[in-house]
Order: sequence, then structure tokens, then C-alpha cells
Amino acid sequence: MDIDKLLYIDRRIIYLLVAIGALIPIIKPIGLPVVPTDPVQGLFDKVESLGPEDAVVISYDYGPSSEPELNPMSEAILRHCFTRRIRVMIMAIFPLGGVNMAIRQVEKIEAEFPGLVYGDDYVNLGYKDGGQAPMKAMAVSIEEVFPTDVEGTSTDGMPIVEEIRNYDDVALVISLATGIIGEWWADLVNAQFDVPVAVGCTAVSAPKYYAFFRSQQMIAVLGGLRGAAEYEELVKRKYPKIAATYEKPEQKVISATTGMDVQSIIHVIIIAFIVFGNIMFFASKKKGRG
Amino acid sequence: MRRTIPLVLTFVVGMYPVFAFFVPHNVISNMNQRLDTYLVIVAAFALPLGVVNLVGMNLSKIKQKKSGWPYSIVLLAGLAVMAYFGVVGVITGQYTGFHPTFEDLFEHMVSPLQATMFSLLAFYVASAAYRAFRARNVEATILLIAAIVVMLGRIPFGDMLTGGNMTPLSEWLMDKPNAAAQRGIIIGAALGAASMSIRVILGIETTYLGKGE
Repeated sequence: MDIDKLLYIDRRIIYLLVAIGALIPIIKPIGLPVVPTDPVQGLFDKVESLGPEDAVVISYDYGPSSEPELNPMSEAILRHCFTRRIRVMIMAIFPLGGVNMAIRQVEKIEAEFPGLVYGDDYVNLGYKDGGQAPMKAMAVSIEEVFPTDVEGTSTDGMPIVEEIRNYDDVALVISLATGIIGEWWADLVNAQFDVPVAVGCTAVSAPKYYAFFRSQQMIAVLGGLRGAAEYEELVKRKYPKIAATYEKPEQKVISATTGMDVQSIIHVIIIAFIVFGNIMFFASKKKGRG
Repeated sequence: MRRTIPLVLTFVVGMYPVFAFFVPHNVISNMNQRLDTYLVIVAAFALPLGVVNLVGMNLSKIKQKKSGWPYSIVLLAGLAVMAYFGVVGVITGQYTGFHPTFEDLFEHMVSPLQATMFSLLAFYVASAAYRAFRARNVEATILLIAAIVVMLGRIPFGDMLTGGNMTPLSEWLMDKPNAAAQRGIIIGAALGAASMSIRVILGIETTYLGKGE
């Protein structure tokens, strides 16, 4: 057996195995159980404590590259908020498609809640350029920062914008973020205006946010697809009506739970390759010594 | 004069929010809030500035036929088309929000392209992990073990293998050693940003003024 060959397997074989591993659970979901963790439970509990008199700001701070991880998160959170009739203000800070993510998500989920009134129960304020600048200015007046909604309709006179004037009227900010934007919400909005902040982020950004979570600058961190799957699980357990939505075939394919099946298999493949690589590494060292 | 005015402006605008933070008088805080609004406007002007820079750089690359210049044509064409359909709806008042073609281009080109780029990561990570994650020394071995624990802790399969112990172990790693290290990095970066801001406000750091006088 040529150890050197096994030490450097052709990358195309690795790619092929990863592709097969990703395809199988999409075709036939396994449905592995997900156990909710503290950083995710924090957001669920907070949303559970809110009602129709409260308002939540959801900021879409990600683009299409993070869609697979953050869309399921956004869907579960929106469904949870809308079910509890919490007023939701949607906005976007991320320039590369944040507003498009918001539009798509709102269009999809609002259709499931025909009883909600746009401009009264929820509003999509669209994108605002300037990163931290609009975040800071929203402390004075949300209406001044967003004089029109995403469709260009004036927000002047919209009941939700009239009533939710600034951060004093906001019970929670949820940032679905890629990169640094989630950090800005904690640094600026939580630290300066004492608004509870929760961040849903890609798995690769999650380690950074644990420091904010531990220091209580964030009430929750939903890390990657796992975070989304945990939130989905919590919402499904509490609300059978929402759980039924996830059973629809078209929804089942893109749910975080199905995504976790894919992630499980890919992680196992990667771990198997790492272990195999190390066995070969030590075997070649031993052979070298011999 | 060209140097003094920006320096004075930077000092005044930089110091004012600090002053307003410690003196919560109505007149002072109102002006501070006004500055926040100006910040949004100034930030919006940074966007066309970026576009001008991007166009300038890529045009010169095309003119000089530098390596990869055909990609610059694609980039400029993409910029022009997206900008046209992005702005046309607002200017003509014909559409509310985006022009439908803008939506189509985003939905069927930008979105799949970005998603594809990100999806490829899974393949590269698998290949790179196989080649690079070797227990060559103690530090590499610790990193290797931590990586495997976190990877197993992020999937339900890990819990199935260990009777539910992998998630708590992975959470402990994220919560304690990871959070401690992240905290150090964040505090270091924040101190660096604060000292840089002070240097800019006091006119010690002047690279933002450009090279010439």
C-alpha cells in the first residue's frame, strides 16, 4: 500500500463524497433530533414574553451568500413574532442584498398570516445606507431615518411608525447578520440605548458573538444552521400550527432541520477525512523512521 | 488652508459627541442628534465616491490592458445595468420600489452566483481540512481535538454518538475558552480603534487628508 498516495488523496474524490453526502439528505431527509441550547433559548423566551403591545425590529444584515443559514432563522422568527401578534419593523443595513432578503422573506411569511395588516402590525422599512449612522439616528426618530418604506410609500401616518418612534418603544432588536453588523447592534444600540439585542449569524461568525452573549450585551446568539434548527424546533414544539407549516413538502426541503441532516453528513465526512489523514500521517512518519 | 480647515472640522465634529455625552443639556444634545442625521447623509455620499473610484480603477485597467482586464468590462457592465434598473424606477416614478428587471437580475443572477460561491466552501473546507489538519505538535493536536468536538457538537449525530454529551462539551468550548480569547481580541481591537480615533481627532494621524498639501 502506497502511504504517500493515501496521504494526498485526489481532491476530486473528496469533492465527490461531499457532493453525495449533501445530496442524500436533500432527497431523503433523515430528521435527526436537535437539542436547543441556552444561546438560542434566550431569544425564544424573550419573544414569548412579548405581546401585541410590543415591537421588535428585525434587521436583515445579510446577502444571498448566507441565505441557506439565515433564511430558515428568519422564517422561524417571523412566524413566531407574527403568531404572537408582536409588531415587527423590518429593515436592512447590509448593502449587498439585505433588502432583497427582507422583501422575499416578508412576502413569503406574510402570506401565511392573512389577518395581519401592513403598516399596522408590521412594516418593511427597506435599506438604509451608512451602517452605524442610521442605527444611531434611530434612537432619535425611526421615521426620520425611514421617511418611506421599501415600496417608496411615505411612513408618515403609518400607525406602526407613529407608535414606535425610537428605541424607547422597541422591546427587542434582532439582527440577522453576516460579518460585523451584528456586533454594531450590540456595541451601539445595546450599550448606548439599553435595547435588548439578539443576533442570528452564520456559523463562521458565531464564536465571536459568544463573548457578547456572555457579557449580556446580547440576549441570544443563533449560530448558523444549528441555531436556526434549534429555534425552529422550539417554535414547532410550542405552536403545532407552525409545526404543520413545516410539514408541507415545499417547506420541508428548505427547513433548517433538513439542512442539519446535510450538515451532519458533511461534518462526519470531514471528520472522517481528518482522522484518516492523521492515521496516514503517522503511518508515513513511522515508515520514514523505519 | 487646505490642510487646516479639514483638521479643525475633524477636531470639532469629533469632539462634539464626546462633549455632548458628558453634558446632557437640551441645546447640546439636539445639535448632537442633528450630527447623527448628517452622518447618514455623509455616509450616503460615500457610496457614489466608491462607485467613481471603482469605475476609474477599472477603466484604467482596461485602457492599459492589465492582466484580467476582460473581467473589468464584465464588472463595469454589471454595475451599469444594475445601477440603471435600480435607479430608473425611482427617477421615472413609474415603479414603486425596484424595477422588475432589477429584481429579476438579482433573483436569477446575483443571488445564485453568490450562493454558488459560498456553497463551494463546503468542498474546499473538506479538502483543506484533510490536507492541513495534522497533529504535528501539541498546539496543532489541541486545535484538532477542539475542532472535532465543535464539529460534532454542532450536529445531532454527535449527541447520538456520545449520549447527549457532545453539545454541552462543544458549548463549553465556545462559551469559555473561545469567549475568553474573543474578548481579548475584541478589547484589543476596540482600544486600537479608540486610540486611532483620538489620533485623527487631535490631528496626529493625517493620512486621510491624502499625500499632497
